[in-house]
Amino acid sequence: MSVRTPKKTREFGPGFFGALASSPFGLLMLFGFVAPLLCVVWFGFMPPKTFELLQVPTLQNYEVIFNQTYFKSILWSLGLAAVTVAILLVICYPLAFALAKIFKGGASFVTYAIATSLFVSENIRLFGWVIGFMKNGVVGGTLAKLLGVQVDSLLYNVPVIILGMVYVYLPFMLFPLTLGVKMVPDQVREAAFDLGANRWQVFKKIDLPLSMPGVLIGSLLVFVLSVGAISEAKILGGQKVVTIASDIESEFTYAQNWPLGSALSTLFIALTAIVVFFALGRFDLEKLLGKKSNE
Amino acid sequence: MIVSRTQKAGFSLYAGLVLLVFYFPILCIIVASLSKRRFFSFPYAAEDMTLKWYADALQSPQVADFVGVSLRIGAVTAVASVAIGFFSALAYARYRWRGRQTFQRLVLLPLFFPQSVLGLALLMWFNFLDLTTAWWTAAIAHTVWIAPITTLIISIQAYGLDESLEEAARDMGASRWQILSKITLPLLMPGMISATCFAVLLSWGNFALSLFTTGADSALPEWLYARMTSGYQPMVPAVGVLNVIVAIVLVIVLFGIVRWTGRKARRAAPSH
Amino acid sequence: MDESAAPILEVASVTKRFGKFTAVNDVSFKIRDGEFFTLVGPSGSGKTTLLRILVGMEKPTTGELRLRGEIINDLPPNRRPTCMVFQSLALFPHMTVGKNVEFPLTIRGASESDRRTRAWELLKLLHLDPNRYYDKNVSQCSGGERQRVALARALAYDPEILFFDEPLSALDARLRKMLQKELKDIQRSTKKTFCYVTHSLEEAMVMSDRVAILRAGVIEQIGMPDEIYASPKNAFVAEFMGEVNLLDITALGGASATWDTGRKTVPLALPELPVPLEAGAKRKLLIRPESLRFLAAGEHAGNTVPVKILNEFSLGSRIQYHVEVCPGCTLTVERLREERTAAAAGVLGWELADSQVLES
Repeated sequence: MSVRTPKKTREFGPGFFGALASSPFGLLMLFGFVAPLLCVVWFGFMPPKTFELLQVPTLQNYEVIFNQTYFKSILWSLGLAAVTVAILLVICYPLAFALAKIFKGGASFVTYAIATSLFVSENIRLFGWVIGFMKNGVVGGTLAKLLGVQVDSLLYNVPVIILGMVYVYLPFMLFPLTLGVKMVPDQVREAAFDLGANRWQVFKKIDLPLSMPGVLIGSLLVFVLSVGAISEAKILGGQKVVTIASDIESEFTYAQNWPLGSALSTLFIALTAIVVFFALGRFDLEKLLGKKSNE
Repeated sequence: MIVSRTQKAGFSLYAGLVLLVFYFPILCIIVASLSKRRFFSFPYAAEDMTLKWYADALQSPQVADFVGVSLRIGAVTAVASVAIGFFSALAYARYRWRGRQTFQRLVLLPLFFPQSVLGLALLMWFNFLDLTTAWWTAAIAHTVWIAPITTLIISIQAYGLDESLEEAARDMGASRWQILSKITLPLLMPGMISATCFAVLLSWGNFALSLFTTGADSALPEWLYARMTSGYQPMVPAVGVLNVIVAIVLVIVLFGIVRWTGRKARRAAPSH
Repeated sequence: MDESAAPILEVASVTKRFGKFTAVNDVSFKIRDGEFFTLVGPSGSGKTTLLRILVGMEKPTTGELRLRGEIINDLPPNRRPTCMVFQSLALFPHMTVGKNVEFPLTIRGASESDRRTRAWELLKLLHLDPNRYYDKNVSQCSGGERQRVALARALAYDPEILFFDEPLSALDARLRKMLQKELKDIQRSTKKTFCYVTHSLEEAMVMSDRVAILRAGVIEQIGMPDEIYASPKNAFVAEFMGEVNLLDITALGGASATWDTGRKTVPLALPELPVPLEAGAKRKLLIRPESLRFLAAGEHAGNTVPVKILNEFSLGSRIQYHVEVCPGCTLTVERLREERTAAAAGVLGWELADSQVLES
């Protein structure tokens, strides 16, 4: 009987392979995320209306920002995003509950129907609302025909912008919420009923706290996406409301003032980052995706 | 739990209502795309219906260009983000290593980041590197945003991976590389295929990133945006509908593949 | 148990169908005030469905539930004065032990101090030191501790009937035995009505005042554990009690019959019956392993058969034998260790009075 002599291999710990496997992603992020952001931050300190990165840093851009009314567009962005999140929570929770706990075969139909929309550019879907709400559009035309009421364009106001944001970001709230509601064990809900709780009490004391990871992820996702939204305000809102994202865009396009746009972006990123880090630090993602971690 | 019929009917009604509102704009576009008139007004007479705009759109070399750009970006993005996603999913869900928790948070960062700002940042970065922006720079931008998504999708599959299978292979003398290619990769295949679907589709519909990173090339959503913000143009709804149809066909084909591979995997798995 | 005690819950002709499948088929029984009642059945016997009907989580297709004479069919679980301990226990994972126990009191709007006092009492009753456990997270508790928390929470609801859906089945044997006894003690000291569901007749025997045995949605037998043990109504019930010998017999008229072993037929004598069997009737003959004994030379018994010993298993003070009458036909015998020598002769016998003729 021959015994193979064990080849001498260097034994790597599992840590080595983890780091190795994460490295392609890490490199992508370094090149495509971290470096561009540093670039933005640095550019924010360049003299206004220049396109060179290698100049003496200055705070001029930030002075301009604080002396002008940019805070208005920041407030508009934050406000619209917050309202969108609140409305979506109310709309999506019952639907998420139905998808997770009540519908059986129908759940995947609804899921597919809503998921498909993710793959159609939001511009196209928003344009549908334009056709619906414009003067002599589908809604106006129908009202005129049926009731004889003449309506002017329903576009270009704040509620329509909010409708557009609610509409575009609905899937980003619905799917995390559904995952969250699925995490609530049926027997735990039944036990609460059995111990005398009514529907509202079960919702408040059991459903909501146990589905909180889903609620948080959904809210966060929607908040971040809608705070940076451009299209809704432009396509549905006309020039009624100027959001911070469109301010930034116009600095880069019409105004050709890259340093000022960069400084605005930096400020905006910092604001969003504060919100995200505050929220992300509060829950464990692994719980939502797979194994429960504390067992 | 007892779910009474009225409750179930109530929830169904609600879901139906949400879907109706959800598909209302798409219905509007379809209606508009069939109207002959240069300026849309509703309702219009039956003789005003036409497929002219579709014919125009399909014959337009411009539109064909945009579709070509979109598809090229989608293909490159899908390959790159699924390849990267496979490894990062292992780091995310499978291997235990010190940086794991931090890594899990970092993966999400690009998702929780306003896309328009990311697009601008990339534009400046490419400018700084003296790269002329074109469809392939847009593909890089899309990959930065989509690789985290493919990572998450493949991670879900990787969480379900039975570790003992890999251990058994190792026990029988397989090397790390053999385990990866002969055990792990095939087992994660369904997840990778659905990740591919998502990557293609999300890239197809993306606008915010493309807006700043395509340079002279223009992707379909960009072209539509430009037309929409500069007043009504009758070909726009038709192109929009075609875009939706392509997306739906992609969804059906790709998810058909997922189903098919899923069934194959289930048949191969030992029955309980 | 007082035979005349008033029924607290009356189940009258309850049937539950899921589509074409009948899970519970025309079941009627009464649970008496203050007793420990157990529903026993193998998996798929409909016991869990029946339990869910009793607590109000399913509605019966037909039939009535009466709690102290009042029909409660349509009362949802949160408005019934009954409560259940789930198989999974269903502890609220986001609350501490204390908050779990206080839950029903919180729902009722009890003041914080009342809740706390009651929770401490209950934790003490269940041997969980409140100082250590009140603020503990339920996920940090062991299996046995979680059982106690679930029971404390149910008791805090102060239900008229407390239902249990096999909560002990996930525990190891030692802990399970200990908790069975504790459960019985708590039932006695609180004088509450307990209704327990299990697949283990042994578990039922330890704790229960009365037992109902369920098969395929139908109650086969209902009675005190001793009654059921002494005279099982049919072969299903007998088999359910553990390792017993059930012989397929065909009556020949009078007190004689043949045992169909599959290979050959063995003539047997039957015990005395109130109504003798007709010739040709097929029945089962029940003989407990401890009723069988090995005969020494010259010893006599009601029935004797020559056997070959296949295997011996030590059960401690006793030995279990698997013996073969003919190939493919085995019997189980349990004897004291001291009687070991007799086994060598290979002749098995039993007294007629120790065997019972049962419907199959």
